[in-house]
Amino acid sequence: MVFELKEGIFVLDDLKNVSIKIGKVIEEEEEWTEPVGPTPMPGILELRNWDRKLMERYEPFYAPMADYCNLCTMGPCDLSMNKTGACGIDLKTAKARLVTIACCIGAAAHTAHARHLLNHIIEEYGEDLPIDLGSNINVEAPSIRLICGIKPKTLGDLRAALDWAESEIVKVLHSTHIGNEEDYIDYESKAMHVSMADHVGMEVADIAQMVAYNLPKAEPDTPLVDTGFGIVDRTKPVIVVVGHNVMYARPVADYLEEKGLIDDFEIAGLCCTAHDMTRYNAKAKIFGPIYYQLRVIRAGLPDIVISDEQCIRADLLSACKAMGIPLIATSDAACRGLPNRNDDPVDEIVKDILSGKTPGVFLDDGEKLAEVAVKVAQEIFKRKQKKELFLTDEELKEEVKKCTQCMNCVFTCPHNLRIDQGMKAGQEGDFSKLAALEEVCIACGKCEQACPKDIRIINVIMKTGYQSLVSKTGKTRVGRGPIQDTEIRNVGQPIVFGQIPGVIAAVGCVNYPDVMQDLRDILEEFLKRRFIVVTSGCHAMDIGMLKDEEGQTLYEKYPGNFDAGCLVNTGSCVSNAHIAGAVIKIANIFAMRPLRGNYEEIADYTLNRVGAVGFSWGPYSHKAASIATGFNRLGVPVVVGPHGTKYRRAYIGKPWKTENWWVYDVKSRQKVNIEPAPDTLIAAVETKEEAIVQLARLCIRPNDTTQGRQIKLTHYLELSQKYLGALPDDWYLYVRSEADLPLKMKDTLLKTLEEDHGWKIDWDKKKIVEGPIRQFDAGFNPTIVEAIYDKYTKK
Amino acid sequence: MAASAKVKKEEKYPPPKRFQIADIQVSREATAVKPEVVSRMVNKAKNPVLVTGKYLLKEPELVNIAVKFYEKGIPIIATGGSSKPLIEKSVKPLSVVFTLHQITQYMLDPDWKGFNGQPYDVVVYLGFTPYYLSRMLSAMKHFSKVTTIAIDEFFHPHAKFSFTNLTKDKELYYEMLSKVVEGLEERK
Repeated sequence: MVFELKEGIFVLDDLKNVSIKIGKVIEEEEEWTEPVGPTPMPGILELRNWDRKLMERYEPFYAPMADYCNLCTMGPCDLSMNKTGACGIDLKTAKARLVTIACCIGAAAHTAHARHLLNHIIEEYGEDLPIDLGSNINVEAPSIRLICGIKPKTLGDLRAALDWAESEIVKVLHSTHIGNEEDYIDYESKAMHVSMADHVGMEVADIAQMVAYNLPKAEPDTPLVDTGFGIVDRTKPVIVVVGHNVMYARPVADYLEEKGLIDDFEIAGLCCTAHDMTRYNAKAKIFGPIYYQLRVIRAGLPDIVISDEQCIRADLLSACKAMGIPLIATSDAACRGLPNRNDDPVDEIVKDILSGKTPGVFLDDGEKLAEVAVKVAQEIFKRKQKKELFLTDEELKEEVKKCTQCMNCVFTCPHNLRIDQGMKAGQEGDFSKLAALEEVCIACGKCEQACPKDIRIINVIMKTGYQSLVSKTGKTRVGRGPIQDTEIRNVGQPIVFGQIPGVIAAVGCVNYPDVMQDLRDILEEFLKRRFIVVTSGCHAMDIGMLKDEEGQTLYEKYPGNFDAGCLVNTGSCVSNAHIAGAVIKIANIFAMRPLRGNYEEIADYTLNRVGAVGFSWGPYSHKAASIATGFNRLGVPVVVGPHGTKYRRAYIGKPWKTENWWVYDVKSRQKVNIEPAPDTLIAAVETKEEAIVQLARLCIRPNDTTQGRQIKLTHYLELSQKYLGALPDDWYLYVRSEADLPLKMKDTLLKTLEEDHGWKIDWDKKKIVEGPIRQFDAGFNPTIVEAIYDKYTKK
Repeated sequence: MAASAKVKKEEKYPPPKRFQIADIQVSREATAVKPEVVSRMVNKAKNPVLVTGKYLLKEPELVNIAVKFYEKGIPIIATGGSSKPLIEKSVKPLSVVFTLHQITQYMLDPDWKGFNGQPYDVVVYLGFTPYYLSRMLSAMKHFSKVTTIAIDEFFHPHAKFSFTNLTKDKELYYEMLSKVVEGLEERK
């Protein structure tokens, strides 16, 4: 029975044997007057039409890694040439299912991380801790507002968003079971759905830790911290934290501060825990991303390693064991076979580790693990004998001598590095070829598994390439978290109109196709051209290692504001939420589009107006797959490096299919053919030259003003000439009038339009008379969604 | 294995070892072919095209080979920035800006008329990052009927026809490429 209590005084004295249960107390929503949009907390179906619209234009492309399926006991099934398997699924749909599963894994990683963190923080700080991100931020949780229709005020309010995300992840995962979808587009819609949930998970995690741990809140000028292999003072004990969830490592810094020992120890991190440790305590340092794990451990730099979760090598314990480095595992996502010692006294745990009785322990009691870590590190440091890193000179020669140039390593290496040639030269006394491999080796260790002579190939490469390795030491600007509302107010218009030519968001992992320097070169090209460059995660720390001739990293050269020609590090993987958040806030703060449960409108706005492009030069993880797919649903195209082809799926439009390139124009109330901008939602590039041109190209949007289009075309054409040696093939498609043409090239381009494309030019007025797909109209107001067209035309 | 049908052991060619040993398929693997066979297939094609990639930026030998293809009348789709060294040698590629990913998507569409108004029936690939090309060849294998020929130094199992694995012997590789262009008939 339900009692509805109206306002008034209620006397309950006479009630006997009645228990009253109070559920959630819903407070009056005093200031959020925004009406609820059409899709608060959407299920799988609510945004399906939006996805299908995107898929009509950006057709899914599948590049199978395997042509068989062995996910059930009816298999393995040969699905080659798009055959169907025992369950009836064909190859395309099977690949779409696999992509959906990958996105589920990525989304689950961030969302489980968020749940664990949120529960822990609520336990410590209470659910009423307000979400206060500083005076410059009113739109505190753009994704949560947009997707869930919630305006969270306290930590406790974040639970509802997380409940929704978890529920959607489970529903989508369910759909990947045998005998569900038979349409690959529907799987793509689910991949997009779960990836959108991923963006909510990320936002919850980062808001929770910013609020509770007092991490920087949208401050552009955060401290610069040491980054790279050569950062630690080896005269101090070194505590290394590895992973992506700072809640486990944070107590170590607190303990050291409390004991007055912080300056007597080094705390350095690998992967995103490093970012978040530096956000928490700027005395912490950043070793590097996942491919620095074996570099750091095999060098014997840590005196103890504390691991948490995600993107940590699955052989971490054995790598540590081989070097005599104890390991504390802290996350239930990665217990590493270690005994749970939470209930044992500190001294007993320390004794067991130091005696070698156990190579490590599982401990998720923060205070206990901090004390154990510090005590163990102190003792291991004392015992450590000074020795050469990686190998002695004698050992190096012995290792190299063993190579028979069988080339098994070459055909196992993800980059087919010519280790055999390096070894051969090394046998002849020339180690330069081996040393050069350091620049491109991602230290995955597959080569060592393939080597019949058990050569410690990584050690050989790192020993010979030590100078290169140690020289990659620089500074990273500590992750600042979100973008200020005031910054959005300043740049919203120039981004939407095109005067700021674009926002390049360099996000993702380290599976680079070539040298790390390429990433810096690509980003600096755009910084010099006054694009806004945003970064996070592995990319953000790698550019902190690379210095120019003056010894400066990009962070030292370019300010940390969200503005033209600036470089913003938002922080760790979960801080990617703020990049999506900035895009969403442009539509909301600049264009006054409502957010609350209004996803389709904002995504449509972004696709047609916001020249933001995601860029993952070294895509690797499932998290990167879901982050990218979430951006795609939001209308943001993504460029990935060549390893990104192994995600097996791309979304690539076909410019020649003119029937696919249209919008409704709210102003003229007509369906209008448009230029193919952007023509791709996600595709891989092969080289840095290609990456640069594609990124500039994909910043073009139908809504650009003539000034904006002129600026964007100037960059696109200049970059194409610089890196491809010619004008791009499709430049004329983006010309709506002579005012769009880059000034310096105007006459030449008009001539080309006339001669090569048959356009009519009035040479007296230097005007285009006939030719473009459409004319420019200052009031052009594009949408591809009927409901949005109706909404604004019926006003 | 189909490979033995074209490249016999007693010949000087190394075995068709996959560029990545874990890239295992259940369906057909490429037929390893000699240069003469590549020339013949291109000569017989209605509308062949050469697609070039990254390694033209690193190996001038590959640029020279591509130029010779062009001089014999085979048009070039240049990707990955490979257009730049080609243009410097007076080649006019059919396209310079589209990625191999995009080009492959277009080729998978039976309605695409190519850059010169006619669908391509034979596509020759030169100078690519092996794992990138491999994925594109896989897409072509499973979802199109276009004949794909990889003439890179690695054996590409997903191509219809591929050079054998020549990684160990670069000289032999360049020699084979030269033989391919020598065997090409001039096209109008």
